Amino acid sequence: MLSTLSVMRPLGWLVIAALSVTPASQAPRPMSFSATLTSIKVSARPGQVITRQFQLTLDRDQATSRFKARVEDWWRSEDGQQSFYAAPGTLRHSCARWASLNPVESTVEPGGTLVIRITVAVPRELGPGGYWCALTVDEVPDPMASAAGVGVRFAASVSTGIFLYVDPVERDASILDLKIDSDRIAVKVRNQGNAPLGIEGRLQFFVRGSSTPTATIDLPRTTVLTEPFVDGELGSLLPSAAALPSGRYVVRAILDIGADHDIGAEREVTLIRASSPNAPVR
Amino acid sequence: MSRVASKVACYLATALFAVAVTASSAYAQTAVLLPDTSQTTLMTATVSEQARITVPAAVSFAVTNVGNGTNASAANVAVDRIVLATATKQLKISIQAAGSSFTAPVLGAVTWAAGDISWNAPSWTRAAGAAGTLSASSFTQIATCDPDAPDCSTTGLVFTLGAKPSVQRAGNHTLVVTWKVESIGS
Repeated sequence: MLSTLSVMRPLGWLVIAALSVTPASQAPRPMSFSATLTSIKVSARPGQVITRQFQLTLDRDQATSRFKARVEDWWRSEDGQQSFYAAPGTLRHSCARWASLNPVESTVEPGGTLVIRITVAVPRELGPGGYWCALTVDEVPDPMASAAGVGVRFAASVSTGIFLYVDPVERDASILDLKIDSDRIAVKVRNQGNAPLGIEGRLQFFVRGSSTPTATIDLPRTTVLTEPFVDGELGSLLPSAAALPSGRYVVRAILDIGADHDIGAEREVTLIRASSPNAPVR
Repeated sequence: MSRVASKVACYLATALFAVAVTASSAYAQTAVLLPDTSQTTLMTATVSEQARITVPAAVSFAVTNVGNGTNASAANVAVDRIVLATATKQLKISIQAAGSSFTAPVLGAVTWAAGDISWNAPSWTRAAGAAGTLSASSFTQIATCDPDAPDCSTTGLVFTLGAKPSVQRAGNHTLVVTWKVESIGS
C-alpha cells in the first residue's frame, strides 16, 4: 500500500503539472516585426512613373508567416478616431488604381525580410490637385491555427500613405472652431484647397493684456483630406493645472498648412482647473 | 665662371621680380577655398520612417455564464524603435473586426457580434489610449503614441466580451480581428 501511494503521488503531480502547462503552451506567441513606414509624397507630373520600396522584417523568434499587400483607398473620420479603408476608386481622388505591387503575397521566414516594390504610373490625363491612397500589408492568418473556446484571433497590418500632387496645387484652409472638452483642446479646420493638407501648429494661452503666453501647446501633425470629409481636427491635452491655472485666457491658434503663410485664430475662454488630471473646463 | 655667376644673378632677379609681381597681384585677389574631395568621403545614411510592432496573436474568453460579460486576460501591445520624419508625427494603433460576427461552432447558431467586444483605457507608456468598441466597418483607435516618442506600450489592455444570453451552443466561437499600425500623413 505504501509503495502504491508513493507511485501514485508522483503521477498525480505529473497530471497537475501537465494541466497547468497546457494552456500556457497553447497561448500563441505575439506577432512581432519591423516595418518601414515612410509615406510616399511626390510632386508628380502626368505620365510619370514612380517606384519605391516597402520592407518588413519578421523578428527572429517568430514562426514563418505569410503577408499580403494591396493598395486601397483610405480616409479618416473628422475627429481622427476612426480610419476607413475601401476598394480602389471609392474616392474620386484615389491613386490606388495607378499603383502596382510586386510581390503581392509572400512568405517570410523568421528573421527574414519582405521587400515590396511599389510602382505608381501617373495617368497622362490628370487634373491638378492632390491624389492619395494607402499601401497596406496584412498578415495572412494561418487557416490551420484553431482557437479553442471563445476567442479572438488577431492579424497584424501596417499601412502607409501614397500622396501625389499635380500642379497647380492650392493649399488653403480655415479655422472653424476652437473647443475645449474636459482636459482636451481641439482646433477644427476645413481644407479649402485642392490637395490633402499636412497641418501642424501650436496653441498659445495669453492672459489679457500680456504679450507673453502663459502656456503653449504643440499640436501633433494631422492630415486633412479633400474628400469624403474636408474638415479635420488637431487636438492635444491641456497642460497641467500648475502650468495653466484656472483663469480667463485668450487662446491663439497658429497653424502651418504647408502654404507660404500660416493661418491663425483667437478665442477667449475661461478655464476652471482642478488638481486632478480630468479638470473641468468650460 | 663670371658668365655663370651673372646667369644665376639674372635668375635670382627674375625670381624676385616674379615674387614681387605675385605679391602685388595677390593684394587684389580673392581667396577661394576649393573642396579637397581627394581626402574626404561623404557618408550618408538614408533612414526610413520605421517601427517595430508587437501585438498579441490571440485572446480568449472563458465564458462560464453567457448572461454576464467576460474579460480576457490583459494583453500586451508595444511599438518600439519608432523613427519618424518629424517630432510632430505620431503612430496610430487601431483595430477592426474582419467580420460582423463571430463564427459559431454550429452553422446558424447564435453567436456574438463584433460590436459585443469592447476594451478599456489602460495606462499607456508614452501613448494616449481610449476605451472603445470593436467595429467591422472601420478601424477604431486604441492608442496614439506620443509625438517624438521612441516607443509606446501597455501591458493592461483588457478586452471584454459582452453578455449574450441568447447563445446556446458551447464550443469554439471565433473572430479574426486586425491590428493596424498607421503612419499615414501628407
